[in-house]
Amino acid sequence: MKVTDKPTSVVLADDDVLLREGMASLLQRSGFDVAGQAGDAPQLVTMVRELRPELVIVDIRMPPGYSTEGLEAAREIRASFPDIAILVLSAHVEVEHAMDLVASGQRSGYLLKSRIINVDDFIETLRQIVRGGAVIDPELVKELVAARRVSDPLDVLSAREREVLALMAEGRSNNGIARELFVTEGTVEKHVRSILMKLRLPEADDMHRRVLAVLTFLNAQLAGSPAEDLADAVG
Amino acid sequence: MTASASERDQEHRAGVEQAARRRVAVLVAIAVAGAQTRAELQRLAAEQAALRRVATLVAGGSPPQEVLAAVAGEAGRLLHVDVAVLSRYEADGSATVVGRWDRPGAPPGTGREQEPGTGRERKPGTSAAVPVWAAGRRWGVMSVGSHSGPLPAGTGARLAGFTELTATAIASAEAQAALSASRARIMAAADQTRRRIERNLHDGAQQRLVSLALQLRAAQQTAREAASPEAGELAGRLEGAIREATEVLEELREIGRGLHPAILTDTGLRPALRALARRSAIPVELNIQVPGRLPEQIEVSGYYVVAESLTNTVKHARAAAVSVEVGVAGDALRITVHDDGIGGADLGRGDGLAGLKDRVEALGGRFRLDSPPGAGTAVRVEFPLAATSAAHSASTSASAGAGQVHNHEGDR
Repeated sequence: MKVTDKPTSVVLADDDVLLREGMASLLQRSGFDVAGQAGDAPQLVTMVRELRPELVIVDIRMPPGYSTEGLEAAREIRASFPDIAILVLSAHVEVEHAMDLVASGQRSGYLLKSRIINVDDFIETLRQIVRGGAVIDPELVKELVAARRVSDPLDVLSAREREVLALMAEGRSNNGIARELFVTEGTVEKHVRSILMKLRLPEADDMHRRVLAVLTFLNAQLAGSPAEDLADAVG
Repeated sequence: MTASASERDQEHRAGVEQAARRRVAVLVAIAVAGAQTRAELQRLAAEQAALRRVATLVAGGSPPQEVLAAVAGEAGRLLHVDVAVLSRYEADGSATVVGRWDRPGAPPGTGREQEPGTGRERKPGTSAAVPVWAAGRRWGVMSVGSHSGPLPAGTGARLAGFTELTATAIASAEAQAALSASRARIMAAADQTRRRIERNLHDGAQQRLVSLALQLRAAQQTAREAASPEAGELAGRLEGAIREATEVLEELREIGRGLHPAILTDTGLRPALRALARRSAIPVELNIQVPGRLPEQIEVSGYYVVAESLTNTVKHARAAAVSVEVGVAGDALRITVHDDGIGGADLGRGDGLAGLKDRVEALGGRFRLDSPPGAGTAVRVEFPLAATSAAHSASTSASAGAGQVHNHEGDR
């Protein structure tokens, strides 16, 4: 891919100043342009309106409520500026939050905050999101794929296919999956086609739609999924 | 001779008549006594029945306001009065009406001045009041009154007798309410502490650790840029330190989740239970019919009921699957956790179920454990939603019945 000269502009939001500064200097060292730093959600939204950055990195839990302010700010930014990439960081990962964010549009990421520490991977993730992808924390995907179900639809998959499915859910491209599993891209393509067929999932040509489809499938297969209960409630 | 004969005759007749009259008198006396005894027996039987009904309410764990209202009602019916009022003395010397009964269809009193127990502007004999002694102190006053005329003689004495007998019920209803209120308070305080610690972990220790690891990372980069063998070694050591910080972060995340699931506070019972289900080592069938959010204490306790039951199933039941049903029926939240394992769970085994029972009952709920050997284990729990918590219901029971009467023993 082409590397443009202009650095990606970022706005950061976290109520912890020390951490925010640490993250800012890390991003600056890695060739990003940190355009602004916010301490809470309203400040972030104002800053985004003014600065129109390409990427927003926001902590999910911020003052005043220390609940899901970051996620709500992300939704608000999405509504006004659908092209801005958004990464939501959290101390714990939940499927509902992931669905909420990925369903809101392209260029979204949802990661454990501690992922920042592995700087190289983190920077790569940011670039992936800015390019239009969707990234879901491996921890959450692992939980979704490993969850025991009474009649498990994932039983039709081979062990290798499960691995590939998990990487698809994380937002990896075929090329990325091939590198992770030390196989050729062609092999990955074969696995992906087989998985989609077995699980009756639609072919998706962009990464965001692929993540959304896999995530929706995994979530719907889980115990007590809203869809399942909605049917019960109506029935 | 004839005269004397007739005199004798007369004497004899008088004697006979007298004897007959005496016999009649005795018979009448016996009959009257019998009727009195029967009435006395009936009164006693009615009293016993009334006491039994009150005792049954207490034993069944009825809320104190219900027990106190029942005591007033039983007294009113038993003594055939128009109104019966049970009042409790407060610390400030005033008294609060905690139970009131009015005879259905009785002519209404003419207002507050006729309130029994106030002792003001009432005709003598139309009301009676006795002190209630409970738990070694003068707890309150029980008063009865008639709107139409004087009370039957002995009403005061009978009221005193009945009140004395119900004092135990009153005391235990109060004690039970105080106990469950304090249990609920202790539990709520513990839950809040857990939540606060979880929050401090996330916003304090975890954040600090991420910051620390980032600083180590920056130092590592500087060392790498120096490109000397010593600096290279330093960079390697820093890598080890960063890895350790990452592991500690993971541990803290686990601890935080065990303390209090943040998702429960953020979005409610359903997402929190779904997260539990997907982390369960045994497949969980989950059916949740809960509209929106519930009171916080109920959500937290409902979550712990499911979490603890699932843990128990995984540890002891050797089950292949477990179903979790959560729904609102009427004004109660019902939770059933049912596995297909070996059964035989019991509350005394110390596997957390007894703690759950305490938690549920502190909120005025019901806990049932069915675990016949070989036939699976079912934990069934019901939380009342109307009264948010026992603490809450206990505090409102004090003001049940709006009126205040003066601290006065009445005209016994």
